[in-house]
This record gives sequence, C-alpha cells and structure tokens, in this order.
Amino acid sequence: MQYLIQLLISGLAIGAIYGLIAMGFAVIYKSTGLVNFAQGEMTMITAYIAWTISTTVSGNVFVVALGAILAAVVLGLVIERVVMRPMLGEPVFATVMVTIGLAVILRSSINFIWDAYPHGLDVGVGRTIVRIGSIGVRTGQIAVIATLLALLAAIWAFFRYSKIGVAMRAVAADDRTALLMGISATRVHALAWAASSVIAGIGGVFFALSYDLSPAMFQLGLKAFPATILGGLDAVIGSGLGGLLIGITENLAGGYVGSGMKEVAGFAMIIVVLMIRPFGIFGERDIERV
Amino acid sequence: MRTGDFKQTYGELVTLVDSPPVWLWSAVLVAGLVVAPFVLNSYALSFLMIILITVVGALGLNILTGYTGLISLGHVGFLVTGAYAYAVLVSKYHMHPLVGFLGAGVVPALASLIVGAPSLRLKGLYLAITTLAFSFIINTVILEARWLTSGARGIPVQRPEIFGFSFDSDAAFTYLCLGFAILTLFATLNIRRSRVGRAFVAIRDNDTAARVMGINLHAYKLFAFVTSAFITGLAGALYGIYLSFVSVEGFPFLLSIEALAILIVGGLGSALGAVLGTILIVLLPEATRLVFSLFSAQMDAMFTTGAQELKSMLYGLVIILFLRFQPRGLVGAWHDIRRMWVNWPLRY
Repeated sequence: MQYLIQLLISGLAIGAIYGLIAMGFAVIYKSTGLVNFAQGEMTMITAYIAWTISTTVSGNVFVVALGAILAAVVLGLVIERVVMRPMLGEPVFATVMVTIGLAVILRSSINFIWDAYPHGLDVGVGRTIVRIGSIGVRTGQIAVIATLLALLAAIWAFFRYSKIGVAMRAVAADDRTALLMGISATRVHALAWAASSVIAGIGGVFFALSYDLSPAMFQLGLKAFPATILGGLDAVIGSGLGGLLIGITENLAGGYVGSGMKEVAGFAMIIVVLMIRPFGIFGERDIERV
Repeated sequence: MRTGDFKQTYGELVTLVDSPPVWLWSAVLVAGLVVAPFVLNSYALSFLMIILITVVGALGLNILTGYTGLISLGHVGFLVTGAYAYAVLVSKYHMHPLVGFLGAGVVPALASLIVGAPSLRLKGLYLAITTLAFSFIINTVILEARWLTSGARGIPVQRPEIFGFSFDSDAAFTYLCLGFAILTLFATLNIRRSRVGRAFVAIRDNDTAARVMGINLHAYKLFAFVTSAFITGLAGALYGIYLSFVSVEGFPFLLSIEALAILIVGGLGSALGAVLGTILIVLLPEATRLVFSLFSAQMDAMFTTGAQELKSMLYGLVIILFLRFQPRGLVGAWHDIRRMWVNWPLRY
C-alpha cells in the first residue's frame, strides 16, 4: 500500500511536469494549428538558462525564476518571428517539418553552448524532504503539482474571460473571420509562442529542481506528447490533466511491470487513445464535410 | 519552337524516363559507379557505400511520405527491425544471407502491418505521432527480448558470402550496395508509373477525390506502408552489415529526421529527388568540414570536437532553409534551371 502511494505521488509530480509541457503543446496548437516538435528543446533551454543564472549571477530563487521567465518569453518570441512567421500560409507538413528542424538545431546547440554533463539546479529550495505520514515527498514535487493546478485555473479564466484569450480562441476557430473582426493573427501567434514557451519552461525548471538537468532533457517533450494527445491537442486544460494521467500510468507500469515498460507506457497509451478517440478525451471532434 | 516539356499522350506520362538521352547518362553514371571502387581510396569509398545504402532507405521512405503523403517519423524503427532480422537469421541461426535479406524485408513489412492497420483512421500529424511512438516501442521490445536479440549487447554481423562469392572487401560490398540501390530505384520508378503508384499519388493529392474515383484508401495506404517498410528493412540490413555490428545505439532517432531531410532537400515524391537529396545530405557534413578547414585550423578543431552536434545542427538548418526558400527541393531547382535554359532570355 505504501509502495503504491509512493508511486502515485512521484507519478503525480513527474506528471505535473509533463502536464506543463503538454499545455505548451496545446497552447500553440490551439492558436496556430501546428504541433511544435521543438517544445521539449525549448523547455530544456529555459532550464539551462535558469541554471546559468543561478550559478553565475545570483542563486536567489526569485531572481532565477524571473530571469527564466523573461528568457522563455524572448525565446518564444524570437522563434516565432524568425522561424515560424515566414512559414505562414505554407502547408502543415512544411511548418511541422520546420519545427522538427528547429528541434534538431536547439538540441545540438545545448551541447555547444553548455556541455554534455548533468548538472543540479540548486537554489536552496525544492530538495528538502517533507514527511506526510510515512511517505517522504520533496517540496519541489509538491510545488510543481500546486503550480500546475494554479496555472490550469489561471488559463481557464484567461481563455474564458480575458479579451486576448477570446481573441486567441477566435483565431484558432477561424483565422480569416478573426482577421475580418480586426484581430491581428500574427500578434496572437506571437503571444501563443511566448506563453507556450513560458509554461513549458516552468515545467523544465521544476524538472531541473527535483531531478537534474542534462542534454537528454529534450525527451521530456516526447514524454509530454502522449499527455497532450490524451487530453486533446486543442484542449489546454485537458493536456495538463493528461500529463498527470500519463505520469501515474508510467510510474505504475514502471513499478509493477518493469523498467522497460516505464519508457513506453505513455506511447502504448496514445496508440490506444488515437484508435478510440483521436481527438483526445477533452478535445473537440472536428467534423470533416465532403 | 519548343516552349516547354509537354506530355501529349497518356503513354508519355507513364514512361520510365523522359527522353532517350537520360538512358545514356544513366548508363554513363552506372559505368562510373562500377569503376569507382577501383579508383577511390577507402575513405571516399566509405562515403560511396553510405550513399548507396541511404539511397535504398530514402527511396523506401519516399514511397510512403513522397508518393502517398503519409508522414512517418518512425522509419528508423523499420530500419532497425530489418537490421535485427538479418543479424538474427544470419549471425545467430546461420541461415543463407539471401534468406537473411528476405527476412530483413519481410519482418519490417509485417511490423508495418501492425503499426499501419490501426493508423489507417489517422491522418497527417496523428500518423506522424503513432509512427514516432512505434519507433520507441520497437527499441524497447528489442532491448527486452534478450533471448532473441541479445538486448543491449547487440549482434556482430559478418559481410555476407553469396554463392561462393565473398563480399568481404569494401569494393565487393560496394557492388552489393550498388545492386540493391539500382534494383530499388527501378522498383520504385516502376511502382510510381503503375496503377498502384498513381493511386498513391491520388491519395496524396486529395484522398476524398481518390476515394470517389474508386480507390480503396485502406488497402492502398497499407500497401504503401508494407512496400516502404520492406525496402527500408533492406536498407537496415545493409547498414547493419556496413557497421558490422547491429545494436539499438547504431540506429539513433536522428536517422528518421535525416531521412525526412533527404526527401525535403531532394524534392518530395521524386525518385531523382531522393537520390540527389541523399548525396547532398550525406556529403554535407564532410563538405562543410572542408570549407571550415580552409579558413583556419581552429575552426577545423572545433569541427572535430563537436562533429556530431554540428552535423545535426546542419540537418536542422538545411531542412528549415529548403522549406523556406526552395520547398520543391533540388529537383525543383533543377526544373527551374532547365526551364530558364530553354526560355532564355524570356522568363516564361
């Protein structure tokens, strides 16, 4: 029983990180209609920048957090402006391939700018172990679950009530009509890239806090992928919850079946999900008319 | 005056080559390739081998992604399956190499049925995702099935000996690769002009219209999957023999990206494009290294230390630049040049 609870809690913690990155996928898909295969790499770069700030400038938690968020915003905006905007109006295949090319470039630039060794992000918090009953949990793990839940609520409110959120939904639903209504599609796209970069970046920083950062971190993107498929590519909230589900599944499979299963549990799950509900649990079924 | 390259009859549309001189040039090229192993040093020869092996794999992916328009991000899965099928049959159970090659084609083809059949309902991105998932699952299966694949230790593979003729030397093995490359080229060109190939292209261009015209989407998509996996598996077997060692690490995920880069750079859906793209992508890191070393020894040193990173960075950059500025690839550029030549000084 205790083993099960331990697995569930660590599953929720890693699942919350997947959820954050999956929300990054969904924000971009929802407003631009493309899957950003470079999401994991953007997450990794934000985490590395946070690490650089913590070791070279200041180890203060707030300085590191602020610096990482700013860096993520700049990263998202630059990628949108330099790489993605010229591809506006091109077929989906071309734009998706561009994000794959971008992913390859970002991944190898990590080894170039930093190095290939794992590092610990130590800002003085997050690694202390709290005992709940007989189960030990890291504060960082509790913090990431809380952050995910808070962000889910914030994003729900943002899309529901704020003017920009409604504009983003409008662009996603029908960009031409949105343009006619006076919404700047490019501005919405830029905002989506920045937001996605920040949300996923937060996930990356939390991952570095609880575990270590290494050039293999881009695999977080691949792991978060099943989460966003499960929740629905166009469902931001659903993707966050999908992350929790994938995290738990993965940990249970790893704990009870075998370590090999842990790696592929998520992928096996999305193949099944895609067969039954290709649009995900919370996604909208788009009807194709002939 | 001839103002362009027009097809006037149905027969012209389905010929193997555009005009008789193409046969002559192809013959010259093949003759050059036959002589090459005697002239080239072993360093250059290794590039020739890699190019020939990669052409086979690129042509295989071209059937699925280029002709039928189904994006696969997991072709490295078929590649590694083919390599393992060959290694297990020949190295472990000491079967005849030809049986090994047959297995290297058939096993991935069967695997493609497993991944292809459930993927038929999916299109575009979703298919890319399931194929991506497939390539990760296949890696885990190989690592877990230790009784068959020796797990993470891998299987050493000898160069084959077929009917008393040993392909042990580099030159002989190059001929084997050349044989496979030419056969694959002919096979895919013929598939393209046959009823099946035209159905593939119809599905790519507009699947609804294709279905209205009586094309069975499921059957043809599955067929594209199976043929593509068969050819890719053969390439995998050749690559395994070239490495003389088959392991999961020998087939990194980057190969899937490289394969797509080849198709994009060459020109999607064209056999000539797959060949040109292969040559460019395989030689690109080497060519860049040469250019860098011209500038300074320092840059050359940077290249040797970070070779792997620079190589993948180049692939990424090339994909982005081609999609941005020349989405039709090298074949498109060649068509533009040819038209310019015919029409000069007029633009059209």
